[in-house]
This record gives sequence, structure tokens and C-alpha cells, in this order.
Amino acid sequence: MKAVKTQPLWRRTLQSNIGYLAVVFFLVIFPHLVGWMTGDSPFGVNGRPRGQSVFWQSVFIEVFILTILAMSYNLIFGFTGVISFGHALFFGLGGYIMGLALERSGLGAEAALLLGAVIGVVVCGVLGFLMGLVSLRLRGVYFAIFTLAIAEMVAIYIGRWPVTNAEDGFPLANMPELINPTRNRLTYYYLALLLVIITFLFIRRLMNSPTGKVLLAIRENENRAQAIGYNTLTYKLLAIALAGMIAAGAGMLHVILNRKVGPEILSVTYTVDPLLMTIIGGVGTFSGPIIGAAGLHLSERIFNREFVIGTTSVNIGENWSLILGIIFVVVVLVFPQGIVGTWTRWRSRRGTARAPAPTVRAANAGD
Amino acid sequence: MTRTRNTYLLIVGLTAALLVFSFLTSAGDLGSFGTTVLSGLFLGALYFLVASGLSIVFGLMDILNFAQGAYFMIGAYVTFALFHSNMFQGIDANLRFPLGVIVATGVGALFGVILERVLLRPLYARPVFQLVLTFGVAIVFGEALKAIWGTEAYSWNPNTSFGIHQSQFEIFGRQFGTYRLVVIAVGALLIVLIGLLLQRTRIGIIIRAGVEDSEMVSALGINVRAVFTMVFTLGCAVAAFGGAIAAPFLGANLGMGNAFLLPGIAVVVLGGLGSYTGTAIGSFLVGLAVAVVAKFSAEFLNQTVWSSMTPMLLLILILLLRPSGLFGKESR
Repeated sequence: MKAVKTQPLWRRTLQSNIGYLAVVFFLVIFPHLVGWMTGDSPFGVNGRPRGQSVFWQSVFIEVFILTILAMSYNLIFGFTGVISFGHALFFGLGGYIMGLALERSGLGAEAALLLGAVIGVVVCGVLGFLMGLVSLRLRGVYFAIFTLAIAEMVAIYIGRWPVTNAEDGFPLANMPELINPTRNRLTYYYLALLLVIITFLFIRRLMNSPTGKVLLAIRENENRAQAIGYNTLTYKLLAIALAGMIAAGAGMLHVILNRKVGPEILSVTYTVDPLLMTIIGGVGTFSGPIIGAAGLHLSERIFNREFVIGTTSVNIGENWSLILGIIFVVVVLVFPQGIVGTWTRWRSRRGTARAPAPTVRAANAGD
Repeated sequence: MTRTRNTYLLIVGLTAALLVFSFLTSAGDLGSFGTTVLSGLFLGALYFLVASGLSIVFGLMDILNFAQGAYFMIGAYVTFALFHSNMFQGIDANLRFPLGVIVATGVGALFGVILERVLLRPLYARPVFQLVLTFGVAIVFGEALKAIWGTEAYSWNPNTSFGIHQSQFEIFGRQFGTYRLVVIAVGALLIVLIGLLLQRTRIGIIIRAGVEDSEMVSALGINVRAVFTMVFTLGCAVAAFGGAIAAPFLGANLGMGNAFLLPGIAVVVLGGLGSYTGTAIGSFLVGLAVAVVAKFSAEFLNQTVWSSMTPMLLLILILLLRPSGLFGKESR
């Protein structure tokens, strides 16, 4: 650190983030790159959302959404050490509130979008706060059960709620033209990318702040953090509420992309996915959730077809969840620190690391 | 001592409240009241089969096995498949069903040994990862069942079934399946058998001591790890057995796992950590509550959503009001 102190700040920042910047640069030019390679314009073919570029944009928007969701889960599971099995609740509620605001509020598209975003984030923040209050009495596995029960209950109730057409859900037609993912998908792509970057920077800034250090202390040993004099409940409340708000944002992006709100966004899938992505990518690391989300979603897309091995054809896409589950179990057993954690350890063990990446130990502290 | 007495008063009070509520809302129709109570006991017996393993494993090994529901599901699928497979149609239906149940229980035990020995054993130093792992294993089992048998919900046709399943008996003018009574009886029998195992055998004494302090038990020269494996296997086998005997009534579908896991957890939390008596009593309380709410909401509210929400609602209430459960230790 001391050696580079003579260099100006912008240069140091640039140097230490060169990998992230390269990824962002790639993602910015990606739609145009695909368009150039396949000849399909990134704005669609013949004024309609067709072609390879537009298709891959939607795949990557889904990756961005899952990345945001996984980063929010990592904030509570990876950094604060609180296990929640109810993350789908925030994701789904965010989506539902946005959907209701757009379709049922009777406002113009822009105003409804703003209203939905504000109400959704506030509601999920408050809900996260209330659920966090319970963590005062319930720790570890009890909190996990509690969140699972709440999420399941809400999912069952909304799945039969006549106001939102029960299990059918409702389509979204009213949305601002500028970010309409059907007609202006490229704009939506950049919006989602921007939100990923903002979330990433926000979480990194938070974790590098004194507040973030207390969160890490809670993960390592909550009793000790309390004994030092921190009111750990306040910090846990902050982490859970923030994670809920970010997850709500991911849910909103999801329903606008799919132009449909249905109870499947509250299902346990959206708890399992961020859990798998965080753990496979690297729990308690900054880049782990990104790598996990991108790796899992892209490989699902790539393997979602039939493979012919000899005389038998295997449809991996159909059994993708099974394979994912097995990968997950293997990762938990063999590489509990995930891709990023294992990679960092391997590099530092070989002694070739220039500077250790800003990763931290995986959450292995108990309740 | 007063706490124990209060606990029993609470149990009696809750049971009485549920029964009185059910009786009043059935408007003097004794048949309706009787079938509600019997369905409650039926559900309670099944909940017990899921929850007993959860509870003992949780008490002894500090693992909440989220895959327990998947074992229940495996039991149901295996029994269903064996009973309806063309290969075994030569065997008489009355013999085919018990054989199917035995095989299903064996399969559950086998997967239980594998899960504990291969997957959980390396993780005793990292409890959070054990929890996450059983969650992952539940997904793997569910997806494997889906890959083998598809997403179809299978239902068991009583007309081609075994003898007891076809017969009905009458209670105050209402029909009730005799087979469901058998399930209640089997549940009660297992409560007694597992209770005897825990109270009267050497292994039971080790298990109970391990629930108190497993480090101390291993310090006394007892191979606690072997006991862990045995208890875990037994818990999985009992859950698979529960799924197997539930199959003639519930069929086999992919939602069963979660539909029984959460009530099972509710029972464990209601009964109190590691308390066998609590689990046994809690099962029937939760079963009764679900049946009463189901009946009430179907008749008066014209919707079924409340009955599927009851276990979660109970779980949330217990966690908020009395996280130590009925028989749990006061401080944790």
C-alpha cells in the first residue's frame, strides 16, 4: 500500500479495479458485439425485438437480476452470518408491488413506476426490519425456520389471492416506453447493468466502512461483538432491511422484464437460487455472487438442449436443477469457500499473488 | 415442577379449545365432528413419523434435517411405484402393499446412512454448512424423483387396492376410511416403540445422554459417531415409512415433501428441543389444529388456503411466543 501512495488516487483506484472495469467494458459493448458478429442489430430486426443480440440481451438481463439478488443474499448470509431461507419473500413482494402499481394504480406509466419502486423498497425494508427484530430472540437455525415459514405462508396466500388472479397472476402492459423491455430492450439492458454496478459499489462501500466491519464481527462471533459494546441487533436489522430492499429491486426488474406477475416469483426457487449462487461463487466475497449468478444462469442456457453421447441422447436442460443440486452439494462438501474463495486461497498458497484480493473468510461461524 | 404442571395444563387447554371449537362449528352434527377429529389424529400420526426423526436428530446432533420431507416423499413414491408396477402384479395386493412399505423403509434407511456418513460427517465442524447441505440434499432428492417419475401427481385408486384400503366404517352416520384408522394405530404403536427404545434400552440411554451433552458421552468412551449414524438412519427410515403408509391415501406428488416438512418442524419446535414426549404430543396437537382449521375454512370461509397455511402460522406463533416449546428448557 505504501509503495503506491505516491500515485494519484484515480490511478490507484483504476489499478485495483482493473478486472471489474474490464468486465463492465465487455458488458457495455456486448450487445453490439453480438450484433456485429451475427448481423442482427442490437435494437432488433425490422423494428421488432428479434435476433441473436436481442435474445442474448434478455439472457444477460436475467443474469443481472440474479446477480443483484445473490449480492443481497450475500450481504446477510455471507457478510453478517445470518441464515435466511425466506429471501424469495422480498423478491416476490417487490415484484408484486411493482406489478400492482403499474396495473392497478391508474397512474401514468412513469408515475406508477416511481410509486411502485418507492413503495416496494419501503415495504420490503420495513418487513426486513420487522423480521430482523425477531432475530433478537431467534438465532441461527431458528431464524432460518422462521423466515422459511413466513415466506411459505405468504407464497401460499398470494398464490390463492383473488385480487392478483391467484395462481395465474396478471400480465403487465402499462410501462414507460423508454425502458419497455420489448421495444427498448437495449435501454433496459443498460439500466439493469447500471443497477448491478450501483449495488456492487454500495455493498463494497458498506463492507469497507466501520459498519461493515461490525457486520463481519457479528458473523465471526456475535457474542464477542456484543461484549465489545456493539448493539449487534441494530447492525443485523440494518443488514436484513438493506438486503430486503435490494432483493425487492431485483424482483421489480424481473417482473418488468417478463411482463408478468405470478406467484412463482414468491416460490422457494428464488430462495434457493441466490443461496446456490452465493455458495458456489464464494460466500462472503464481493465477486462470488456475480460469478455464481453468471456461471449458473449462463450454463443453464448453454446446456439447455439435448446432447447425443453415442447412441443415447441426454436432455441436460430437463435435469438441470438436479445437476445444479449435485454441484451444490459437492461445492459445500469440497469447496465450502466457493469458486472465488478457493481461487484466492490457491493463489496465496502458491505465493504468486501480488496482493490478496479483498475477500474474506467464508462464513463458518456458528449461530 | 410448576412449569411442568403448567405445560400439561396448557396442552389440555389447547386440545380442549380445539375440540370445543370443532364441536361448536359442526353444529351438533356428531358425524362431522368425529371425522374432523379422526382426520386430525390421522394427520398427527403422519406428522409424528416425520417429526420424531427431526426431533431426535436435532436434539442429539444439532442438525435440523431439511431433507426429512424428501425422505417422506421417497417413501411414498417407492411404495406407489412398487404397488403399481407391472412386474409385481402377480403378488396378492394384501401382500404387495406391506412388502412395498418394507422396501420403501429400507430405501429411506439406505439414503439416510449415505447422507450421514458421506455428506454430513465431514461437516460437523461447520454447522451452518450442514444446514445448507441438507437443504441442498432436499433439492437433489426432489429433482431426482422428478427426473424418474415426472411432475405428474399420482393418486392411488382404492378400487384396485388392498383389502383394508377398500373398506369404510361408519361414525355417527359419516363414512371414514378404515385404512386411516390403521395409520393412526400404527402411529400410536410407533410412539410407544420409539419411546421404549429411548427409555428401556442401552442405546436409548446413550441417545438421551447424548442429547444432554454428547461431548461428555464420547468422553466416557462411547462411540458417539456410530450412535449419530444409527439415529439419523432411524429417523430417515421412519420418515420414509410414514410416506409409504400415507401413499394409499395421499398418493405421490412432488409437493408432499414440503407439505410435511414444515408441519414436522412446527411439531419439533412446539414440542421443545430434543423432547420426545413433546414431539409425540405436539404431533397430535398440530394435526388436530390443521384438521379443525381445514374443516372450518372449507365450510364457513369457502376456501382451503387457511388449512395449508396453518402449520406455518403455528410455527411462527410458537417461535414468537414460546420459542422453547412445550417441554424445552427455559433458557437457550
